[in-house]
Amino acid sequence: MGVHRGSGSPGRGDQLGGPVNVKAFFVDALGGALELGVGTPDDVLRHVTPDILATHLPRPLWARLFTACLGAPKVDAQLVIETLGIANLCEHVPAAIIWACIAEMGARSLGLAYTAPPPPVVLTRASLSPGSAPTRPTPPPMTSVLAPPPSAEPAASEGKPAVNEPLADLITELEADDRPITPTRARTPTAQRFRQSNTGIGRLGASNQPRRPMASASPPAPTTSKPRRTGTEVEEAETEGAGEWKSREIAVDDSQLVDWQAAETTQASDDDFGDIGRKR
Amino acid sequence: MKSGLDNEIFNPADVIAHATPDVLANNLPPELLSKVLQASLAAGSMTPERVLETITPEILAAHIPHEILWACIAAAAARAGVTNSVVP
Repeated sequence: MGVHRGSGSPGRGDQLGGPVNVKAFFVDALGGALELGVGTPDDVLRHVTPDILATHLPRPLWARLFTACLGAPKVDAQLVIETLGIANLCEHVPAAIIWACIAEMGARSLGLAYTAPPPPVVLTRASLSPGSAPTRPTPPPMTSVLAPPPSAEPAASEGKPAVNEPLADLITELEADDRPITPTRARTPTAQRFRQSNTGIGRLGASNQPRRPMASASPPAPTTSKPRRTGTEVEEAETEGAGEWKSREIAVDDSQLVDWQAAETTQASDDDFGDIGRKR
Repeated sequence: MKSGLDNEIFNPADVIAHATPDVLANNLPPELLSKVLQASLAAGSMTPERVLETITPEILAAHIPHEILWACIAAAAARAGVTNSVVP
């Protein structure tokens, strides 16, 4: 079972995500533990049980083991380990089992309590038969495995601009009902850019509600000192205020009156180019 | 096989001489291999008698090729002088 990740030479597991050689490490660790007396062959066979060997060991190794056992005066764990070899054990036995063995030896040598991992799944013919019960332990409920779903409130408050306008606050309150439905990641870059501008336009554009009309604003009060107007502003002011000042009665002095008859004649003579020749 | 063992036509060592460890390892199911090893580790030794206590004649007949078992029987018959044929 190769555990090299990615390409590269084995034995460079110090790099994050680089290739690792777990089996070589297991051979060194387990062989060193047995050689130094940190662990015993009985410790190994307590994890690498005959059932594990029967499941994962190739048949030629079983033939070698039987031959050695039949010819030996005493069959024990040491004979099994010496016959099979640490390298073959680490090569064929699942890494989790070998690691559990090493972990127990290490914990015991350090005086720590060793907590055994859950029993591995052993697939034998008996377990695969229809009438037999599965050997896989019951998995814990999914609620204990899955992380709780992230709350949408922090994400909504994160992008909420700090505005002081009452209208903006009202819009913010109206949009608060739709915030959990709209995922944070679904925001378009344009909407996020508008949010960062702190103007509230992006929220208006991103909202599903229709834009509120702007006619609710009260007309500006007439001021005596008007700023300098441009031509466009004059036209707009005259157009908008035409209905009001026409209906208003203003006291006018006689000197301010205009002889409209003469003015119309003058105006007509100015505009009617057909009468120019006749008058002359 | 059972009759030959019961009537001592051949003994467990004769059976293992034909049903060698290589034959056993290549033909027995994993659970039986584990069972043989467990019994040997518990007893402290692996002998042909102990192997045949686990690998019964019925199991042998079920998993070991019949020509191997028949060779064991024929060799025992040749040793007993029942037949003139020489069994390899």
